[in-house]
Amino acid sequence: MSAQTINPATYLIQQVAQQDREAFSQLYDRFSNLVFTLAMRMLRVRSDAEDLLQEVFVQVWRQAENYSAERGSPEAWIINIARSRAIDKIRSIRRMEKSFVLTDDPARAESGENVESSAAESEARLAMNSALANLPEAQRKVLELAYFDGLTQSEIAERLAEPLGTVKTRMRSGIQRLREIVSSRAA
Amino acid sequence: MAHEEWLERAEIFGLGALDGDERSQFEAHLAGCRVCEGHLRETRETLAVFARSLAPVVPPQQVKARLLHQINPEVAPSIREGTRSRWFPWGISAGAFAAAGLLMTMTWSLYTTRQQLQRLQKEVASIQTGSILHETSIQFLSDPHARSAHLKGLAPSPDAMGHLLWNPETGKGVLITMGLPKNTPDKVYELWAIAGDEPVPAGTFSVEDKPHTLLKIPSLPQGKSFDKFAVTLEPAGGVPKPTGPMHLLGSL
Repeated sequence: MSAQTINPATYLIQQVAQQDREAFSQLYDRFSNLVFTLAMRMLRVRSDAEDLLQEVFVQVWRQAENYSAERGSPEAWIINIARSRAIDKIRSIRRMEKSFVLTDDPARAESGENVESSAAESEARLAMNSALANLPEAQRKVLELAYFDGLTQSEIAERLAEPLGTVKTRMRSGIQRLREIVSSRAA
Repeated sequence: MAHEEWLERAEIFGLGALDGDERSQFEAHLAGCRVCEGHLRETRETLAVFARSLAPVVPPQQVKARLLHQINPEVAPSIREGTRSRWFPWGISAGAFAAAGLLMTMTWSLYTTRQQLQRLQKEVASIQTGSILHETSIQFLSDPHARSAHLKGLAPSPDAMGHLLWNPETGKGVLITMGLPKNTPDKVYELWAIAGDEPVPAGTFSVEDKPHTLLKIPSLPQGKSFDKFAVTLEPAGGVPKPTGPMHLLGSL
């Protein structure tokens, strides 16, 4: 019998699918910082980020049995859940605020309490920042507006006063470039 | 359409930025295309670099406690919720009993100093407000047609919150707010009932020194499907349409 290698996080999700609460607790400890950090960046209000974090892991608890490693890494799966929910909230708030006085983004932003991470985590984060820094500014801008602010391609075109085709091209070129950078670092 | 174009749409879809007909067309295509499914998966893995590039922020411990409690209600949350603890009518009930106790205390305090009496009167007034709040809230809580909404604090008052109980059939309700900053005399908070994107004025109130503020919602127009409520800060007297910053927002 050959030994089968399994991603520890994948194993945890499989256990969570069996309603294993201890595995769920470990899975939360593993990914809660990432989800909360992303939620703070996207929603910018601490209470909303806390709610989102809770909602994401409730969904993980309920849908763990639907997870398949063939559909992506556990990290990407959980990030995708978090982003989808955050974008829904952002768009709901944005629709509401169209009827009201728009809240200035800087005023809405709350500063998070950043923490010292481990040396390995810091190194990984630096590598990610380095990858992003290698993107041309125009490409990085459209990707960040979509990824963090939940804007659609049409909304980005309107905000930047650029043709929709230009925005699409920058998005695709940015993703291609990012894919190349990430692949070369992994190799 | 050449398949290369579907792959390009997969990337923008993975970013969450595809919209309009392009999005619905791609979703229909994705349901039967393993190649695009794989490309979408790879795109999402690549884009995770954005999330992983952020300086980490640690969530408060009570989120995990709430979460574990939610998936396993038999386990009580190990950490008390602080400012975000849910309002619960039993606390008000305790306040009503305390009011009765204080009234008895006042009876026995006829011979105490005027200063002590004034202090007690203030406390009684506060608790009587709690009793009114209690009675009004119980009235709506026991109403089978009443619906509730939790209003969250937005950027101007992120720690504030509100609970709204409303009967769509009578159009009447009650709003309880907590944590809103005290308004200046030239300003007033205004509640808005929202049907679609149309806000309708639903009463004004001021926030003084008390931690809770109660607003009895007057009868709202019939025939409108109100599903959201918001609180803004407006000029004294209120306005027919919102003009000031939004402090609270929630849905039924």
